[in-house]
Amino acid sequence: MLNQALVQDVIHEALTTGGDFAEVFVEDTFKDNLLLQGGRIDKSLSGRDFGVGIRVYNGFHSAYTYTTDFSREGLLKTARQAAQAINGNAQVNGQPFQHEQAPVIHEINQLPQSVEKARKVNVMKNAADIAGHYHNSISQVRVNLLDEEQNVLIANSDGKFVEDKRVHSRMSIAAIASNEHDMETGFYGPGAVQGFEFFENLDLNHYAKEAARIAVTNLGADPCPSGKFPVIIDNEFGGVIFHEACGHGLEATSVAKGKSAFANKVGEQVAPDIVTYIDDGTIPNEWGSINVDDEGNKPQKNVLIENGILKGYLVDQLNGRIMDTEPTGSGRRESYRYAPTSRMTNTYIAPGESTPEEIIANTEHGIYARYMGGGSVNPATGDYNFAINEAYLVKNGKIDKPVRGATLIGNGPKTLQTVDMVGNNLGHGAGMCGSLSGSIPVNVGQPTLRVSEITVGGRKEDA
Amino acid sequence: MNVLEFKDELFQKGSEKGFKDMELYYEKSDRFVCAIDKGEVDQFTTAEVTGVSFRGVYADQMGYAYTEKLDESSIEFLIENALENASVLESEDVEEIYEGDSNYKDISFSSEALKSVTTEEKINFMKELDKEIYAADERVVATNFFTMQSVDVEKAMYNSKGLSLEDDQNYLVYMVIVIVEENDVTKSGVHIEVVSDWGKVNAKESAHKAVQEAVSYLNPLETDDKFYPVILRQDAARSLLNTFVTTFSAETAQQGMSKLKEKVGSKIAGDNINLVDDPFLKNRMGSRTFDAEGVATEKLNVVENGTLTTLLHNRKTAKKDGVKTTGHASKASYKGTVNVAPSNFYIEPGSQSYDELVQGLDEGIVVTNLQGLHSGVNAISGDFSLAANGYYVKEGKIQGPTNLMTIAGNFFELLNEVNEVGSDLEFGPSTVGAPSLLLKGLSVTFE
Repeated sequence: MLNQALVQDVIHEALTTGGDFAEVFVEDTFKDNLLLQGGRIDKSLSGRDFGVGIRVYNGFHSAYTYTTDFSREGLLKTARQAAQAINGNAQVNGQPFQHEQAPVIHEINQLPQSVEKARKVNVMKNAADIAGHYHNSISQVRVNLLDEEQNVLIANSDGKFVEDKRVHSRMSIAAIASNEHDMETGFYGPGAVQGFEFFENLDLNHYAKEAARIAVTNLGADPCPSGKFPVIIDNEFGGVIFHEACGHGLEATSVAKGKSAFANKVGEQVAPDIVTYIDDGTIPNEWGSINVDDEGNKPQKNVLIENGILKGYLVDQLNGRIMDTEPTGSGRRESYRYAPTSRMTNTYIAPGESTPEEIIANTEHGIYARYMGGGSVNPATGDYNFAINEAYLVKNGKIDKPVRGATLIGNGPKTLQTVDMVGNNLGHGAGMCGSLSGSIPVNVGQPTLRVSEITVGGRKEDA
Repeated sequence: MNVLEFKDELFQKGSEKGFKDMELYYEKSDRFVCAIDKGEVDQFTTAEVTGVSFRGVYADQMGYAYTEKLDESSIEFLIENALENASVLESEDVEEIYEGDSNYKDISFSSEALKSVTTEEKINFMKELDKEIYAADERVVATNFFTMQSVDVEKAMYNSKGLSLEDDQNYLVYMVIVIVEENDVTKSGVHIEVVSDWGKVNAKESAHKAVQEAVSYLNPLETDDKFYPVILRQDAARSLLNTFVTTFSAETAQQGMSKLKEKVGSKIAGDNINLVDDPFLKNRMGSRTFDAEGVATEKLNVVENGTLTTLLHNRKTAKKDGVKTTGHASKASYKGTVNVAPSNFYIEPGSQSYDELVQGLDEGIVVTNLQGLHSGVNAISGDFSLAANGYYVKEGKIQGPTNLMTIAGNFFELLNEVNEVGSDLEFGPSTVGAPSLLLKGLSVTFE
């Protein structure tokens, strides 16, 4: 992508003010984004993102610059701008490069760029047909297909010179059900580290129907009551709560500065002993998986919480320096526009003993969150909020009628402490995670589980 | 390869491949970001990014492609992909390349004074602000996302019908989340300032505002869950309006995703609600003299005394509805396609100050910020259920903060249930602005 001699010169230039480490990240990415709505292909956009990011460290300080100017002068100027923010006295010249192609953990069969767009369109139409025909109240279906081939080069003054090709494919299906008074939506968005084979093998009958079924269910649902309830959260994307409420607090980004509720607690009980929380970037072809992280380190399976005991954190190189800990293959970034930092890959709560049926049968009065929506968390306080996309009341151990418009609010570390049943049906769900180093693909996951009490907000005035 | 050379070669090759009309949209941005943590520069970033978007009419469809690499290989990439994209499109509505208007408002949104502020001045100010924040209150324990960002964006649009437009804008904004602690309870407050005049930045004043906001959430009161009259403080009102702003787009309406479809000419809000879109405001993020199709922009009343007078249109949606475009074609960047978005969209202020609104409240809640706006709303039905922070008001006085709460309601109902519109219109770092609003009531649940 850039020749080694030029990259070496850029690293030298970046170290002229006494920095002790320099890194160059080059990216050449091809993207397709197609949208079908109202039965027609309404948008088809292709793009090429290309740029170079340069990072310099001096101890715990760092500077980052990036550019789309790939000329020699442009790159050296960008390196100098990074160097200007550094005032060190290290005498680092940069090790000779050890050229390496990142070992492929996640096999890709059909590169997105090699597939005609008309074939992508066919899959989208199938999905729209299935969702559209699910029920006569379905008034609109939107199908979005995204694929991406990101070619990267990561080189640094330690002699690393790694190249990798990352391929992502995702389809999101949104169905709208409407009657005279209301419109409600249902959504499903599966994705993987795969090429076009992902779309060819995707079980559209399941995903498209589910999106439509959720919309139709919500259309007939009453407003959700508000108050404090035991909440059963289903598997797959249900894991988003623990992603936000715990996962982010286990990233070195917040731990290194002592800003996380989990800082300095390794070895302590932070959750009930039925909770084991894992981040694993090596699961073959999963949406959050990687061959190599954005600092050139290999991904690994990181057990973060084991039987309730905090075992470790997700660590990138810079925060690893501050924490005096080895990086864990967790340095990630959206693109050359971001310096990498510690991020999640595929994060999940490990399966427990209970069956989902047992969990429901053991709940006298509560809320069952079949599909979770998005949410956010205040990193300083751990306070979170999440939408539930499909919710039901639970009465006397049975799933009762559906309710819509429910929101969960609470405090992450406290909610973690009140998980009281963990199911045996682990599933993963694809999402985009936004943080300091941009928006990246991650999986969240868990089995069906129950939290003894969460505050539920809804529109119904008395519960 | 400079952009004009790139354009000439691109248009020539595009024409050879069968494109009828073509456009090249160019954007170059220079960015500086620094973050401060406990007196030290924690993040330092500079960037220079160039990108172009090509669109062209092929077989009556508009094909799009963009690139950040201005070289020969990209010319081929743009043409091949735009052509293939046009071939798979099935849009019934014709999107066209516009030859341009005869007059564009002569106004500049660029500030040379802001551009001349040096990196050293910016960092020194941030360090001073950092000191003032810790000095302001002993309960301050940390800051988060304490960043300053300055951006300078040059845009240009060239098309094969001879249109050539250029624009240059810059802004400087800083933000801080102040974290305070008392009796082992942690609270935080956000403060954001968009700088229009560097000569008027005041670290002490900013620090006080930021710290006061954070401290105001300490020691929450126990309050009952019920239906309360609610004051949406201007920042909360703005973020709620921003979430539902797409419902005013004719594009959203034509897709059947807006409740305002077929409501033009009807009452959609109380008599006291006026919504305006003004592209000519100085120091606002959404200002523009031409839109993303090259149409000259103008000020527009969208809601007058509660009546919806128009939706926001680009040329494509206007043609479909048989009306004139309102100049609201928008492209988030060269990475996007042309859609519809407001310029500076706001609720016109009323007469009562925020303090007067509070004084007029016998019992109620002030909502100061909303969370979960990207997930806890149904943009079509207008239903929302959101996490919120705020204060409890009794007998015209703020008694103290509440616990974290959820508020639930419906945006379209709310437009008809505003008892008072405040005078304190603010935009913050947004293209949407609102004053504080006193609402008849919302269902509130406390954690």
